[in-house]
Amino acid sequence: MSAEDIIKEYQDILRQYNILNQISKTVSSTLDLNKILKIILTGVTFGDGFGFNRAFLFLIDRHSKNLRGRMAIGPSSAEDAWKVWNEIKDKNYSLEEYLGSEKFENEQQFSVLDEKIKQISMPIDKNRVVWKCLQDGIPRNVDLVSAAAGGENEPVEDSGPAALFKERQAFSQDGLVQVITVNDSALIDAELAEYIDHPKFCIIPLISRTKKVGILIVDNKYNQRDITSDDIKFLLLLGQFAASSIRNTIIYNDLKDSISALSKLNMKLNYLKDYNEKIIESIPVSIIVVDHNFTVTQCNENCGKLMGFSKEIVMGKQINTHEIYIDGINLIDEVFKVIKENKAQGFYKVNMTINGEKSDEIFDIMLVPFKFSEENPEGAVIIVENVTNTVRLETELSNTKKLSQLGKLAATVAHEIRNPLIAIGGYAARVKRKFLEGAQTDIGNLEIIIEEVKRLERIVNEILDFASGREVKFSEVNISLLLLECINLAKAAAEQNNLEIIFDCGRDLVENANLHVFGSRDHLKQAFLNILNNAIDASGKKDKIKICIAKGAKDSFYDFSDSARKMQDSISGIFSKDRAEGEPEYIIIYINNSAPLANREDIKNIFLPFYTTKTKGTGLGLTITKKIIEQHAGKIEVNSSIENGTTFAIKLPLMDI
Amino acid sequence: MKKILVVEDDMPIRNLYKEELIDEGYDVITATDGVNGYELFKSSRPDLITIDIKMPNMNGLELLDKIRKEDRDIPIIIYSAYGEFTQNFSTWAADEYLVKSSDLTEFKNKVKELLLR
Ligand SMILES: Nc1ncnc2c1ncn2[C@@H]1O[C@H](COP(=O)(O)OP(=O)(O)OP(=O)(O)O)[C@@H](O)[C@H]1O
Ligand SMILES: [Mg+2]
Repeated sequence: MSAEDIIKEYQDILRQYNILNQISKTVSSTLDLNKILKIILTGVTFGDGFGFNRAFLFLIDRHSKNLRGRMAIGPSSAEDAWKVWNEIKDKNYSLEEYLGSEKFENEQQFSVLDEKIKQISMPIDKNRVVWKCLQDGIPRNVDLVSAAAGGENEPVEDSGPAALFKERQAFSQDGLVQVITVNDSALIDAELAEYIDHPKFCIIPLISRTKKVGILIVDNKYNQRDITSDDIKFLLLLGQFAASSIRNTIIYNDLKDSISALSKLNMKLNYLKDYNEKIIESIPVSIIVVDHNFTVTQCNENCGKLMGFSKEIVMGKQINTHEIYIDGINLIDEVFKVIKENKAQGFYKVNMTINGEKSDEIFDIMLVPFKFSEENPEGAVIIVENVTNTVRLETELSNTKKLSQLGKLAATVAHEIRNPLIAIGGYAARVKRKFLEGAQTDIGNLEIIIEEVKRLERIVNEILDFASGREVKFSEVNISLLLLECINLAKAAAEQNNLEIIFDCGRDLVENANLHVFGSRDHLKQAFLNILNNAIDASGKKDKIKICIAKGAKDSFYDFSDSARKMQDSISGIFSKDRAEGEPEYIIIYINNSAPLANREDIKNIFLPFYTTKTKGTGLGLTITKKIIEQHAGKIEVNSSIENGTTFAIKLPLMDI
Repeated sequence: MKKILVVEDDMPIRNLYKEELIDEGYDVITATDGVNGYELFKSSRPDLITIDIKMPNMNGLELLDKIRKEDRDIPIIIYSAYGEFTQNFSTWAADEYLVKSSDLTEFKNKVKELLLR
């Protein structure tokens, strides 16, 4: 060996010690396990340090005891490798500088490699080299290329008896490093081999004293540099250091977790204790506990504020010496009942009169039976809450709600009315002018005026309907005939758009006598027409609107997918569903069109007043429809999907004939 | 003869404007929504456009914006039943903003004025 070689060798050794030093310095500055692992792997792969192309870390999983992939650093391709090396070279970072730099802090793991390693989990298998390596603490130099040649100076891994005589120490007595060469691919987990995808790599056991922590694997996939025994010597040193810092960090973090869990528990206990003591005093509720003699055994300060008693006056005395009335009911009688029947009782939003004095406040009162002990089982808790503010807020809220609805109504009405008014006024002025000019009166202009007045009337009626609810006269209504009538009325509009309304009711429907609902024909007609008109508005040219009806028990709304399927197959008419004996029968009318709602999140809103997606819509159509159906003890539901379009289901109770 | 494009979705009002403008001696074409209005703007190159704001498909403000991107000079009157749209900056791209009224005198005056400019 020439002097130059020796110098270079020493320089290398020095550099590697230096790296170790830098790694350990940075590692000791943190207790974040991920950061520590990243530092170690970066140190191993850093160009200026060991300079391995790639490094992989597997840790033993605490629960499964498997070796699980934890972190990997390295480029995922040769081009990538070249880029990364150049970048670091350009920056001229030293490892220490790099580890302290923002780039290191922000740098994500080289994703592909790192992502994949986390999916690897190798179960304990004494025949696999990773586990052998953890068993005897000796690093393995895997070389599947020169399999035939075998190792020359170093012992070769085999499963024969020779293996038993192997030293159990990575360093032999003379300080030389022990390495076992592996060239039998059967000893490598298939999963691992596939992942690493390179025939030469080195496995370093990470063992902290006797505790197995995991393994470190390095390779030089991209520059093909051989891994020397000096390399391995340093890797072993690093491995020992890594193992103990990883272990310490894990222990430290566990400890920290359990300490914080403990202190949380402690805090909780204290809190609960405090809570129990203070709650009775602090809640804005008056609590009075009485026994079966109506003697007050416990009560809180608030009881004074709420009811005009002070704690001292009430405690230990009998409550029935006071006259307490809630909305004219004697409270003591009610307490007696609660104790006797062992059943809680609530009075909500009531006024209280205590000893002849009526308060302006509003209260919620709960009477709850209370068990003192086995010998003395009877008693009750009287809980009185002042809800004056809540009630006030509630009324305010509903008033503003009404107001805002009114405001909205006003705006809609104003807008709705404005267009017809402009047209009427405009045309009237025009007719007048033409008349004065001596021109012939244009009947068309007058017709428009008449039409627009009708439109105004319709709008006003709708609003009045919504606002008041016309007087309803109920009589027997034949639903099938009414539906046919509505369909005929809707047909004109449908045909304009080339739409088809399918209601293939067949004989079934007409022959079935009992399709009668007790209700208002006009209103039901309006309800059906509203839905049909919506369906027409929503449909494109040549779409189909499908109607089918079913009979069934009260709560047997057909599920929508079922009805959608039936409509798909165009099975109309009656399909009944089982119902229990004696239950009234319901008719369910499905009206489907192929377009989904414009905004499907708005499905909750479509029955609300003024919800509309149309320029000329009032958004009252469905609100009125729902009101009508509910006036008939019925129910209306909607379902909308891209596949099945929009389906309204109307359920009405049939008359018992 | 000057050509005016009226974009308005409400049929009676559309007809009213059309007839009144024809009486004033203009050539009038009409569109029922923003999309239709844009098509006609491209195909028949009118001298002036009147646009309603509240319309289905493409509303008047969108249409105004689209036309202005291609033609900064064509006179445009935008109108609506709402007064509050005056607060909306996008209406400023129009030459005139009017609140709809049954009295068309102002409307007709503005049309005349803009075409003389
Ligand atoms: N069959 C349907 N398909 C798709 N969307 C619908 C259907 N029915 C109702 N909608 C949606 O629900 C909205 C509210 O309907 P609603 O009947 O209450 O008011 P409108 O039809 O807009 O106005 P109006 O009924 O007063 O003319 C409609 O604007 C439409 O967006
Ligand atoms: Mg409607």
